[in-house]
Amino acid sequence: MPDWITVVIKSISLLVILFFMTKLLGTKHMSKMNVFEYISGIVLGGIVAIHTIDPDKNISYAIIAMVIWFVIPFSFEKISLKSKSFRDFTQGKSTVFIQDGKIMEENLKKAGYSTDDLLEKLRDRDIFLASDVEFAVLEPNGSLNVLPKKENRPLTAKDLGIKVAPEKQPQTVIMDGKVIHESLANLNLNLNWLETELEKLNVSLENVFLGQADTNGNLYVDLYDDKIVVPQPAENEMLLATMKKCQADLELFMLATDNDQTKAMYKRNSQKLQKAIDLVEPFLQ
Amino acid sequence: MTVGSQVKGCYASIKSIEASLALLANKTQHQESQQAFQEAKQLISEIKDDLQKHLIHLTREEPQYE
Repeated sequence: MPDWITVVIKSISLLVILFFMTKLLGTKHMSKMNVFEYISGIVLGGIVAIHTIDPDKNISYAIIAMVIWFVIPFSFEKISLKSKSFRDFTQGKSTVFIQDGKIMEENLKKAGYSTDDLLEKLRDRDIFLASDVEFAVLEPNGSLNVLPKKENRPLTAKDLGIKVAPEKQPQTVIMDGKVIHESLANLNLNLNWLETELEKLNVSLENVFLGQADTNGNLYVDLYDDKIVVPQPAENEMLLATMKKCQADLELFMLATDNDQTKAMYKRNSQKLQKAIDLVEPFLQ
Repeated sequence: MTVGSQVKGCYASIKSIEASLALLANKTQHQESQQAFQEAKQLISEIKDDLQKHLIHLTREEPQYE
C-alpha cells in the first residue's frame, strides 16, 4: 500500500474519532474551560497531528493514547457533576475578597492578589471606591464578581415601585421577504393578520427584509428599500392620549355646568376614567 | 361649538376607546394585561351609559343645543 493512501486513511479515521470525542467532552465555551480540560484538548489534537502525517507509526498506538486522554477528562467531568468535594478539588473553590464591605486581607494573600490587582479588578466593574462594595468573590476561573452596596446598584422598576407590563420575547415573523409560519402561530396570529398589517403600512411582503411582532400584536418592519420611511406603531400611545383627553373634557364639562346633579355625574365619570387610565397605563407604554 | 356637540364628541371618543380596549384585550397574550384591559373596558362602558343618558336629556331639555 503506497504511503499516501495510508496517510489518507489514517487522517480520515482519526478525524472522525476526534470529532466524536470532542462532541462527547461537552460544548463548554473555551474561556469557561479549566486548565486541565484545556490541556487535554490540546493533547488530543497533538496526537492526531503527529500520527496523520507519519505513515510509519502504528495507528493503534494513536487510538490507545486518544482513548486514555479522552476517558480520564471525561470521567473527571462526570464525577465532578455528581460530587461537590471532588468538584472543589478539581475546579477549585471561590474565594471571598470583600464581605460586609470589609476587605479580607488573608484571602487576598492566599489567592496571590495584591491590593493593586484587587483595585484593578474592581475598576473593571466600574467601581473606583472599595467602600462601595458590599460583597466580592473571586471565581475559580479568575473573574471577580461584585455585589455593590444597595445604594450603588442601578435603579430598577421594583425600587421605584412602578408597575411594569410583563413582556415576552418578540417573534420574527418575516425573514428575507418570506413569512415564518411557526412564529406567527406562536403569537396566535395568522397570515390574514400579517397581510392587513402590511397593507396598513403600505408595503409589500417581498420588500420586507425583517419583520417582528411583539405580544401586543404590533408589527415592526425593516425594508430592503431604505429610502421608504415606515411609521412605527403608535396605536397604544394614541389610545392613552385619547383617554387622557376625554378625562380632561369631562372635567371641563363639570366646571361648565351649573346643575348640581349633572356636576356630580361628570365628576363620578371623570374619576372612573382616571381609574381606567391608571389601570391600563403600564400595559400601553 | 355648543356644549351639546362637545359632549357628543366626547361620547364618540369614549366609544372608540371602548372598542380599542376590547381589541387589545383580545389580542394580548398575557392573563394579567387581558384582565386590566377588560376591567378598564367595563369602567369605560359605564361612563358611556351615563353620557348617553345625559345626551338624551340634553337634546330633550334644550333643543337649541342640537
